[in-house]
Amino acid sequence: MFGAARLTVCMVFGMLIVLSAPDTHAQSGTTVEAIRAELETLKRQYEDRISTLESQLEALKHESHEDEHEDEPHARDHSDPPHQDNAFNPSISLVLDGRVANHSADESELAGYPAGHESGRTPSGLSLGHSELVMNGSIDDKFMGNLTLGLGVHPGEPVELELEEAYVRTLPGIGIMDGFQLTAGRALWTFGYLNEFHAHADDFADRPLPYRAYLDGAFNDDGVEMSLVLPTDMFAEFGGGVFRGDDMPFGGSDSGVEAWSAYGRIGGDAGRDGAWRVGASILNGRAHDRMGGVHVHDDVHDDHGDPGHDDDPGHDDDHDHDHDHDHLGLHDDDDDDHEEEEHEHLADFFTGGAFTGNTRLVALDVRYTWAPTGNPRESELILQGEYFWRVESGLYTLHEEHETCEDPDDPHTCHVETEDVVLDLDGGSSGWYVQGVYKFSPQWRAGARYARLEMPKDAEAEEDHSAFSAMVDWSSSEFGRVRLQYNRENLYEQEDDNQVMLQYIMSLGAHGAHSF
Amino acid sequence: MMGRMYRFALSVLIAGILSVALPASATAETRILACEPEWAAIAREIGGSDVVVHSATHARQDAHYIRARPGLIAQIRRADILFCSGADLEAGWLPVLLKRGARLVVQHGQPGNIMASDYVRMLEVPDNLDRSHGHVHPAGNPHVHLDPENIGILARILTERLVLIDPDNADGYHSRHADFTARWDKARATWRSRAEKLQGMKVIVHHTSWPYLLQWIGLDRVIALEVLPGVSPTASHLAQVLDRVSSSDADAILLTPFDPRDAAEWVSARSGVPVVELPFTVGGREGVDDLFSLFDVTLELLEGARG
Repeated sequence: MFGAARLTVCMVFGMLIVLSAPDTHAQSGTTVEAIRAELETLKRQYEDRISTLESQLEALKHESHEDEHEDEPHARDHSDPPHQDNAFNPSISLVLDGRVANHSADESELAGYPAGHESGRTPSGLSLGHSELVMNGSIDDKFMGNLTLGLGVHPGEPVELELEEAYVRTLPGIGIMDGFQLTAGRALWTFGYLNEFHAHADDFADRPLPYRAYLDGAFNDDGVEMSLVLPTDMFAEFGGGVFRGDDMPFGGSDSGVEAWSAYGRIGGDAGRDGAWRVGASILNGRAHDRMGGVHVHDDVHDDHGDPGHDDDPGHDDDHDHDHDHDHLGLHDDDDDDHEEEEHEHLADFFTGGAFTGNTRLVALDVRYTWAPTGNPRESELILQGEYFWRVESGLYTLHEEHETCEDPDDPHTCHVETEDVVLDLDGGSSGWYVQGVYKFSPQWRAGARYARLEMPKDAEAEEDHSAFSAMVDWSSSEFGRVRLQYNRENLYEQEDDNQVMLQYIMSLGAHGAHSF
Repeated sequence: MMGRMYRFALSVLIAGILSVALPASATAETRILACEPEWAAIAREIGGSDVVVHSATHARQDAHYIRARPGLIAQIRRADILFCSGADLEAGWLPVLLKRGARLVVQHGQPGNIMASDYVRMLEVPDNLDRSHGHVHPAGNPHVHLDPENIGILARILTERLVLIDPDNADGYHSRHADFTARWDKARATWRSRAEKLQGMKVIVHHTSWPYLLQWIGLDRVIALEVLPGVSPTASHLAQVLDRVSSSDADAILLTPFDPRDAAEWVSARSGVPVVELPFTVGGREGVDDLFSLFDVTLELLEGARG
């Protein structure tokens, strides 16, 4: 095989010389020299190639094992320069997440905000987090596609299949403009720092309070987004999108185009082994009967105005309907403090009411990383913070039920009266978190986070929500991680909650590169 | 009132971005982003003053594991040539840079994209792929630069690409390449005779960073300190290493500037085999500031260890 290759190359080479020879005689001296030089280069290239082939063959002979067929892939690998694996099939990866948690407080409710799927705490005892199946790949040289299926398991409920992402995105090969990217479909859109990342890549087991309250974990509406990286010394990127307006902080899209976003980011290196990025984002749109979570419409006629109750993993099983009544404070016979009732009543509109109106969320995010030895794999410090500012005004509708009985001892005489109470309320608030994570050895990291969240303005609450978290995690490799986390949540009008969680997050299959 | 504040904030942001953006577009030099210092060194040899060279990593960094920093996205966004090892060495961060920077001319298959492992004979190509075998590179070991022949091949490839992308300066590229090749071939001849004297030397390595150097010189690898490629040494594995070392009289334990030293020093203290930190790439040791001194110093250190 090798002899034949060499013979062919020599013949081709010889033919080239023969063919070019008559011409060179007719040309002037300089051209002859130019052609000679060209031939020389050609010869050199062929010699290089031949020597490469020779050494390949030599190596193959050395390596050749019992089975001759094993050699073929080697040879192919070289004749065909290596490309990314799974060039034609989508890359598939699977993320598995499991937890065990213990809480000191019986219940946990983020008052003032609708209870969505991702806004509650980890269920007590053993549970599964989100299992994810991610498939992606290039469509051609101009587009790539991605599908992310989330399998949500909430205790006592059937497994829920959620389409977290389904988008197509331009590749640089589309050639519209360097630095340009367009994404269409459903994606974890660019907003603040955390939103565009899958939760399993987070540094903590749960999202910080503002993400839980304002975005129900993350904003992944249907829409289109573009971004442009500028040709500057300093990293500078800006972009924006248009969205359907179905996902928190919006909901119940009327026209199908109800929200838009814009963002800008700058960043760069800080010294030899540090890097930073600062960004500002805005998300603006209109909500119609927003109830939080994804079961917006289903829950409108649900019980007692606590729409997320059935879906909310954060509510423990003993958090039953009677308890809701007590908490709502609307029907307590012994509630003689009228003022308190009024306050709680307003908070209930934010917690359980359907919202129709304009909502605008502004986020500022900062991130700094520093690897003392230059190698983030060995040790690294990551500091991160985000500030959110929500401006929201519109109508809150609370669906109230009153049970009246003619004879209190006979349930057959009872009938339920329903009433919709509508109030125009200012839901403006702000929230923020700061966190630091330090990798002190290649497999161990420790981190702390503090988050704060205001109650909506018209809820007239005296206090904010706040939460402190500390975590230690151990990574078996890039693909496996076990994390122990402690949370102390001081939520408004809730018993202080000490939470301890042990979590594993493992990924199998194709593993994409990490963003900053 | 709120709306006005947003508009103000937004216009400040846009003005800020534009003010950083505008001064940049003036420069006309050919920009080369090298993933590792060795490729940056070739780029400086061939490009001279006609190019601006930036290296994504420095000599004390393990190129497997850096972050896709914003600063690198800005670099690739303006690069005319991307010059890397390939074979998935940069798989943890380069794909992000390529997609986010979205610079067409440096994408795979474009003239501005040079992956060194596409042009040299690859060693340690795995027979099968399984994550339980450690950090495996399907296309073979990507640390291809420690064979002087490979440097020569890549210098030629880079010259071809520079001529293609920046034909105005073709003469400069050709003449610098001719000059470099002459000096390189001469140096190779002296290194060859020095390397022959080192043949058969037995070495322990931390990570499989050295197959091309080992093959070029003819060194024998006794064992690696890492349990599997990319998997840090464990106590039980080191005990096994110690057994092998005592039965085979190794001459040196080879480290790169970015390998952790503890495991090597542990074995060294118990076996008497010296730890030799080789420069590995340009900048990896004081005085190693180009490709010539890289090989000079590497051979010097090995000769010292041979005694």
